[in-house]
Amino acid sequence: MTQRSQRLAPTLFVAAASLLVCEGFVPREVFVSFVPRSGTIRGRVELRRVAPPIERRPGVSDLGAPNPRDVADRLRSVVYLESAPRGAFESGQPGHAIMDQHNETFVPHVLAIMTGTTVDFPNSDNFYHNVFSLSKTAKFDLGRYAAGHSRSIVFDRPGIVRVFCEIHSHMNAFILVFSHPFFAMTDVDGRYRLDNVPPGTYNVVAWNEGTSSEPKPVTIPDGGIAEADFILR
Amino acid sequence: MKRTAVQLACLLVLCAAPAAARQLPSQPLAFDDGRVTIGGTVSATYGSDDTGFFNFTDYDRSELRMLRFDVTGAVNAGPHFAVLGELRTENFDAVRPYALYVRIHPWTSRDIDIQAGRVPPTFGAFARRTYGSDNPLIGYPLAYQYLTTMRADALPATADELLAKRGSGWLLRYSVGDNTPDRGLPLVSAFRWDTGVQAHARTANGAVSGTVAVTAGTVSNPLFNDDNGGRQVAGRLELRPTAGLIVGTSVARGAFLADAAARSASQSDGRAFAQTAWGADAEYSRGYYLLRFETIVSAWDLPIVRTPALTLPLRAASTSLEGRYKIVPGLYAAARVDHLGFSEIAGSTRTAEWDAPVTRTEVGAGYSIQRNLLVKVSWQRNRRDGGHVPNLDLGAAQVVFWF
Repeated sequence: MTQRSQRLAPTLFVAAASLLVCEGFVPREVFVSFVPRSGTIRGRVELRRVAPPIERRPGVSDLGAPNPRDVADRLRSVVYLESAPRGAFESGQPGHAIMDQHNETFVPHVLAIMTGTTVDFPNSDNFYHNVFSLSKTAKFDLGRYAAGHSRSIVFDRPGIVRVFCEIHSHMNAFILVFSHPFFAMTDVDGRYRLDNVPPGTYNVVAWNEGTSSEPKPVTIPDGGIAEADFILR
Repeated sequence: MKRTAVQLACLLVLCAAPAAARQLPSQPLAFDDGRVTIGGTVSATYGSDDTGFFNFTDYDRSELRMLRFDVTGAVNAGPHFAVLGELRTENFDAVRPYALYVRIHPWTSRDIDIQAGRVPPTFGAFARRTYGSDNPLIGYPLAYQYLTTMRADALPATADELLAKRGSGWLLRYSVGDNTPDRGLPLVSAFRWDTGVQAHARTANGAVSGTVAVTAGTVSNPLFNDDNGGRQVAGRLELRPTAGLIVGTSVARGAFLADAAARSASQSDGRAFAQTAWGADAEYSRGYYLLRFETIVSAWDLPIVRTPALTLPLRAASTSLEGRYKIVPGLYAAARVDHLGFSEIAGSTRTAEWDAPVTRTEVGAGYSIQRNLLVKVSWQRNRRDGGHVPNLDLGAAQVVFWF
């Protein structure tokens, strides 16, 4: 059986079962136990080396030392299915996310969202920021705006978006836009959990600060849990 | 031959930079957990032949035909002490230390810094943002670049001699002082930083900041080794009353004329012939536009040698208005209108400004191929009331890469 037909099998099974139940050939309660139950992929992404933060450019022409700033959290990775199960692209309600600008840092530093999600970029500093991206996935420039103000962008294409501030060149962030919901952020220890994945075999990828793992084939049993660990850098 | 080589190099960089930049660093190089950082800027400019010397910074260098490499570095030795420096080379000339100073931050809880060495300019707004990535156009404001007929090491004996040099600041010789032909000086030099000590303080919310400096040279003639024993005192006050608005005022006064030139003028009584400068600037930005205004008045006191005497002090005033508007992500349009005028002096046969007034209008656009790779084009209209080429329109293109 090919990988594609493996993935299609549960869907065809559900369709056939639904037909039989609707037509009254089989009592509904008999089939409930045969509907494939989604499973979970969990594991850990180990970072051999944490990506260094982007430093300020040497402020040789500044009349004084710059203000202290926060350093972006580069420990969190994103784990996602390279190819999603059928039906995964039938999106529900468009999502909403926030990427704050605080102490010359984007918070969070990495955002994973689905296409159609609106991301707000509030400015929580008492000086101007100018969020922009020249990424092919989403080219935008929100202009300069002050503390307490916010601008928004709808991300409608999948891909990786690098976000910067025009005024503070060390400020940077990543937005990973997926066309399906099968992705998860790790915690600071690298642990992740991808729930509600239909049974099947998928290629799973881990990503951190622009570095991706090789796709790892993972088989999820019916209603079960699959483990997948990754090592990056 | 060298000029051709530079032109070829500029053209090569203009063509090859977009491809090469993809392999080059996109952020400052950091070592030792960020305690040592190194940044850089490369700009290649190629433009029309500036036969009127409107954009020259000395006899050999035009800002419109320039290949410039800048390397900046900072070594942060704890929260109280840092060493900062910048090396620069232009058109494959010798590498020069553009800046080298120590920054002392005595209290971590207060925004007070003391900087000593070859320090950033205290006076004005533009001189600290001359880098290609900070300047939306290719040309510089006249006050910071245009070579007037004022020299610090030589002076005219009479008003007639000075009037005869109008519009030739790129190469001039006077009868008193150093007789070697050399360039004149701009009102404020953006191409050399002064040497001395600087103190900077800022309120906690950043709304008010002030800087004072004592340096060896003056704003138009920054020096590493003093040539007159006098010092310049400069100060700047900057207010940020609301987000996006910066208002600043600067003053500077210091001994300008070299001792050797004063002695040649039979003025060796120890009197300092000073340059006094005053400036005001404002910047306002919001959304997609940015506006900058700056005006500078400079006055030079010189010895009277013979009649018809110079009408002292010799004054010059510059006003520039600059705007930038972002059209779409990565693309902006910019313009600057700039005028430089001079006080009048009376010669034997005529009364006129001591140097030829200049008006420059520059319009241009910039496109970011990637975040740290910018391509600019601009067109300049220069009008001068004197000189061998009074009117000249110039076009230029520039590629700027920074990390």
